[in-house]
Amino acid sequence: MRVLVTGMGGELGTRVAQLLEARPEVRDIVGCDFVPPRRRLRRAEFRRIDPRNREKLRDFVLDFAPTHVAHFGVYEPASRLSPAQAAQRTELASMVALSAAARAGALEYVVVRSGLEIYGPRRNRASVPDESVPPAPVTPYGTSLLKVEGAAAGVARRHGIPVGALRYAPVVGSHVPSPLGRLLRLPVVPVAAWSDPPFSLVHPEDACAAMVAALFVRVDGPVNIVGPGAASPWQAARLGGRIPLPLIAPLWGAASQVVEFTGAAIAPHVVELLRFGRTGSGAHATATLGLGQLRSTQAVLQELYEWAEIVPLDTVRESVA
Amino acid sequence: MNAVEIVGGVAAKHDPSDRVGRPDSPLRAMRRRVGGHAVLDPFGLDPQLCDLAAPIFRFSMRVETFGAESVPSNGPAVLVMNRGYGVFEPTALTVAIMNETGRRVRVVGAPGLFGVGNALRRFGAIAATAADINAALAAGHLVAIPMAPAWLSPRSGAPPLELMQTVMKSIVLPVAVRPGGPFGAPLAGWRVKIGTPIVTDDSLALGDPLGAAELSETVRTAVDNLR
Repeated sequence: MRVLVTGMGGELGTRVAQLLEARPEVRDIVGCDFVPPRRRLRRAEFRRIDPRNREKLRDFVLDFAPTHVAHFGVYEPASRLSPAQAAQRTELASMVALSAAARAGALEYVVVRSGLEIYGPRRNRASVPDESVPPAPVTPYGTSLLKVEGAAAGVARRHGIPVGALRYAPVVGSHVPSPLGRLLRLPVVPVAAWSDPPFSLVHPEDACAAMVAALFVRVDGPVNIVGPGAASPWQAARLGGRIPLPLIAPLWGAASQVVEFTGAAIAPHVVELLRFGRTGSGAHATATLGLGQLRSTQAVLQELYEWAEIVPLDTVRESVA
Repeated sequence: MNAVEIVGGVAAKHDPSDRVGRPDSPLRAMRRRVGGHAVLDPFGLDPQLCDLAAPIFRFSMRVETFGAESVPSNGPAVLVMNRGYGVFEPTALTVAIMNETGRRVRVVGAPGLFGVGNALRRFGAIAATAADINAALAAGHLVAIPMAPAWLSPRSGAPPLELMQTVMKSIVLPVAVRPGGPFGAPLAGWRVKIGTPIVTDDSLALGDPLGAAELSETVRTAVDNLR
């Protein structure tokens, strides 16, 4: 089994590479990203490639000729990149890496990172969507995810291989760069004044375990990965001892700008979550991936808020010197 | 009646989104809400709020229940009920199931109306869509589907065909909810009669419109016969 992990520089990509290193069935693991991995990798090989350098990315993937692709080259806006950069890099990474992997000739299975954002705002039509609900994204990130799934489906059609898409609930954790995580940790959290809709989260460890399970089970089609239970923006803010600030619809644009000024950029898909909620049915994942009990949304939130505010690096440097 | 006693042996593995719990004292409830410890479930149900309101519903709606042994103590099932007065019948059924089995009921038909839908969802309403019903059944909840309103007709209204298509392979129980007052007035409590599970034709595929129509007619007849 020769696994390519695109987006290995992200928190999930790095952790998945570590989990794959522990599996003897996986012979080779290589990864690429525009930033280096976030943890120490022993067996996996990493190449620093910006997805905008198409030729370099294409040649790298063609040379490796993966049998399996775990596609984490999907960048959330306002996470580590601006919305425009995130959309551009996601599109390039998906198109170039997936098509090169397919052309290399050894490809057996592809699984892509997707998200519940693909279903669009939580409305009366389907408030807890399962995988059969047709995607109807309205935010740039949701649209971006739809393109990624579309590219993967194209590979499946042309080469006749199974392709999975893991539609994650927002992945929030102490070490995960996430616009929602940052926003919830602000001293004052904007919430919707007239509705307090539920949203679900997934723990980064569960998200990675799901990806590894998907690679081995070769799950075909979309699968929602959602932690049990839900929270509402108001409740989540109070759990962290933050002050919820109720906002009415016309004020969200101004609030986004103020929040961005304070250092936590807020993307449209995060506003959508706060105003309309975001949940999904995770029953299919439990049945197909055999993951056992995932960590609940409340547990994910508690871990987020228990995280130490700042780790002083100076002392570490002094002790090393 | 004590909620924990109703649940009995399964109180230890208490799932608050499916099992009625003991209400908190108002002070403790307020503290939990302010501290962010009152959690929701993915459908928007607030178990703590439901438990707080349960004694009020029990007091204001006196319900006599027959045939509650048909309701599974665990896992998903669909209750198809008649409706005349709108919100009263679903509330009477919710109280009946709460009293007899200690479980919560997800009533189909949360309106999309601004604010109202959200408030009803806190008490267990879900949208009248196939996606939400499937999700609630997959999560192992009891789902109540009200039939079309029938005010003066002696027969019950038809169950929504589109929704019956999605529940064809589930356990379907007919439920008749009648006011106990003279001339069908909701004055002297409510009588909730729950029938035995309806046996569906296994040969029909899920979503088959003809099968769903047959199931709807069988349920409707069963509800009428329960009077």
